Amino acid sequence: MAHRIPVGRTDRVSPLTGHRAAASSAAVRVLLFLALAGTMAAVPVTGVHGHDIPSDITIRAFVKPEGQRLRLLVRVPLEAMLDVTFPLNGPGYLDLSRAEESLGDAAMLWIGQEVSIYENGTRLAVPELAAVRASLPSDLSFSAYDTALASTLGPPLPVDTQIYWQQVMLDVLLEYRIASDRSEFSILPGLERLGMRVATVLRFLPPTGGKRLYQYTGNPGRVVLDPRWHQAAFRFAQLGFTHILDGMDHLLFLLCLVIPFQRLRVLVILVTAFTVAHSITLIAATLGLAPAALWFVPLVETVIAASIVYMALENIISPGLRRRWMAVFGFGLVHGFGFAYALREMLPFGGDHLVISLLAFNVGVEIGQLLVILICVPILRILFRYVPGERTGAIVLSVLAGHTAWHWLVERGGTLWEFDVLSTSPDGALYGVAGLLALMLIIAAFAGWALTRPGRPLQ
Amino acid sequence: MIRKSIERMAAALSAVGILLLAAACADVEVPETASDAVMAPVFEVDPMWPKPLPNHWVLGSAIGVTVDANDNIWIIHRGNGNPSTELGAAQDPPVAECCIPAPPVLQFSPEGDLLNHWGGPGEGYDWPGSNHGITVDPMGNLWIGGNGGDDAHILVFAQDGTFLKQFGKPGARRTDSFDEADPEWSGNSMDPENFGRVAKISFDASASEAYVADGYLNKRVAVLDIETGALKRYWGAYGNEPDDANIGRYDPEAPPAQQFRNPVHAADPSNDGLVYVCDRPNNRIQVFRTDGTFVMEKVLSGATLGAGSTWDVAFSKDPEQKYVYVADGQNMKVYVLLRETMEVLTTFGAGGRQPGQFFGTHSIATDSKGNIYTTETYEGKRVQKFAYMGEGPVEQKDQGVIWPTASR
Repeated sequence: MAHRIPVGRTDRVSPLTGHRAAASSAAVRVLLFLALAGTMAAVPVTGVHGHDIPSDITIRAFVKPEGQRLRLLVRVPLEAMLDVTFPLNGPGYLDLSRAEESLGDAAMLWIGQEVSIYENGTRLAVPELAAVRASLPSDLSFSAYDTALASTLGPPLPVDTQIYWQQVMLDVLLEYRIASDRSEFSILPGLERLGMRVATVLRFLPPTGGKRLYQYTGNPGRVVLDPRWHQAAFRFAQLGFTHILDGMDHLLFLLCLVIPFQRLRVLVILVTAFTVAHSITLIAATLGLAPAALWFVPLVETVIAASIVYMALENIISPGLRRRWMAVFGFGLVHGFGFAYALREMLPFGGDHLVISLLAFNVGVEIGQLLVILICVPILRILFRYVPGERTGAIVLSVLAGHTAWHWLVERGGTLWEFDVLSTSPDGALYGVAGLLALMLIIAAFAGWALTRPGRPLQ
Repeated sequence: MIRKSIERMAAALSAVGILLLAAACADVEVPETASDAVMAPVFEVDPMWPKPLPNHWVLGSAIGVTVDANDNIWIIHRGNGNPSTELGAAQDPPVAECCIPAPPVLQFSPEGDLLNHWGGPGEGYDWPGSNHGITVDPMGNLWIGGNGGDDAHILVFAQDGTFLKQFGKPGARRTDSFDEADPEWSGNSMDPENFGRVAKISFDASASEAYVADGYLNKRVAVLDIETGALKRYWGAYGNEPDDANIGRYDPEAPPAQQFRNPVHAADPSNDGLVYVCDRPNNRIQVFRTDGTFVMEKVLSGATLGAGSTWDVAFSKDPEQKYVYVADGQNMKVYVLLRETMEVLTTFGAGGRQPGQFFGTHSIATDSKGNIYTTETYEGKRVQKFAYMGEGPVEQKDQGVIWPTASR
């Protein structure tokens, strides 16, 4: 059995000096208290006055409309609450006996006044601060709404808890007056300024039951918490549009597509074929049909880079519209996996409308691509007017695009190579990918065959 | 003409595709439920984790790892112990562009980026002669032990490196007062205020208690109050009163030793009131109730000599803590045990310096997503991540290197 030591034989360190002191000695305790009190008196406001914006924080939040009241429960790291002076003691412990007011100030300054919640499109008034509590980082109550609410409304930490202020979690309960819990609610979080990188896990609990999980980094814009189909479609069309314009590799692929053919009608059909292809794999990946292997993402990225190199080479050697149908369709299938990774985190924003959201994303991508073409074609036509021959111009541009993509290919291929896929896949994963590639080949071949039948608008 | 050749090509491609698909399907149909397969957590080494250190920094023997509430990974290592051939830029004068020992404590993000670094001697505390073990407590503070000659104390720091507390005094285990030329030490597992070269400290948040694996000189588990450091209780092997007498080398043929052998290397409480103690050279995990009552023991690779087989334990992150992971730095692997029966389901790892291999598997920790992190001492000098891929059938008792392969 264990050997028990009488309680009271302590061995603690002075929070002021860092030296060990026999805390069993009442005299030392008194001295410590006096020293602490003296320090407090000499420095009227003991606390932290300024610190850096934290680099990486996670916010957990719940939104729950109930009757005439909407509750917003938020947990943020206290270190993200800038410009608020918190009372401290010792080497930097939050002085819980004096902290409540500053915790409330921080909660309203950085959360209550920053978060915007809308009911049927109208912004709700600034909420009431119903509760604020300092919690330990190891506290797990925010894994579910009921435990988070009980903890936030429950008793505070004992005032003698020694917790270093930057490791405190701030739990906040805000209450908004609403007309009905059945209204349409949306939220503009506005918390992205709390850190250099702010990851948020937001759960919406509608009155009809269930819950919806949103995970995002930075500012997601205004989020309709239970969107209708057209709201989901609009959001995802926007996402698709901005995604294609943000993706340098997809843009370069499009440029390679455009360089030798500046006929809008042909290009529109080519780009649409690309969209149809990437829609297939995007939906497949979303439904969980893509391999989960760690090396599959670098594989997709490498093939995307290779697709640009191939397009550029074809432009230089012999740009042929017939081959391009197959290439565009086949590579479109690979690009679709790339889109899927970009979209994965955003899917809950579509609410119950998964398929509509995916299709709308593809529509957004298509619109973005068409916009790029509409811009590129006239520019290329003007450009080629001033170079000695359209063919020379096409070759020069293709060399530049191919050169860039070659660097990506080497870099991404290097990452892929680290996994040593070929020598270590005994369990079917490699066959799975081979099957997928084969499927792509079949589809591309079929598309090539179908589109080369007489009467198709090939050239 | 051209159309015909395209059609021919399409037909050929289709044939190839169908063959490949058939191969894939044939593979899928192979039954994977061999009779000796067990359901166990499946891992893959992540060869990309962590990202390279900046500033020509290099790790030394890495002798502690822990994961905080935000899934950031903290390690502690001994960069200054590297040979001068590794520290060319740290010589006086520098003899090369590389390398410099990294600060002893490093924090990594889940993505493997270096977030923070600190450690080493400073004002107001006694940095260990040989730092050993790092663990995050329920307040987010980091506790560090030490197994250097004079180390008989524990240090507590905030995550930004601010010194908070020290429990115990260095030098408390010296027996010949202060003969610096020829110091001698001996264990005293009855000492209520000091320790004997602490290996690792773990925590029971619900009771606000710290469990000290004490250690390389003492032969006990010591339980402290987290806030005050006050010693509340302690015990030896089988719950016996600890005896610091030398019991010689481990002999696989001898009856089980009634005392721990040094080092007592880890003492981790589970969330159902049990404590798992690594009695390292005795090759066993002894399980106790939190009051020190002996429950059972599990011998792992009992023929192991030298440094022993049970170096550190970590629990799976499911609420039941269904599995126990044991690091074995002598046999260079990690055991996966079913906690309820302490049956070894499988092991992974093998000796070597490539990803997924080990040299001196010293410390082990898990994050909230079930991933495992290990550090390696001796010349291993690194931290590795083993990505949790879910539960699945595992056929091999000893999996060896668990390279990323994936569709598991």
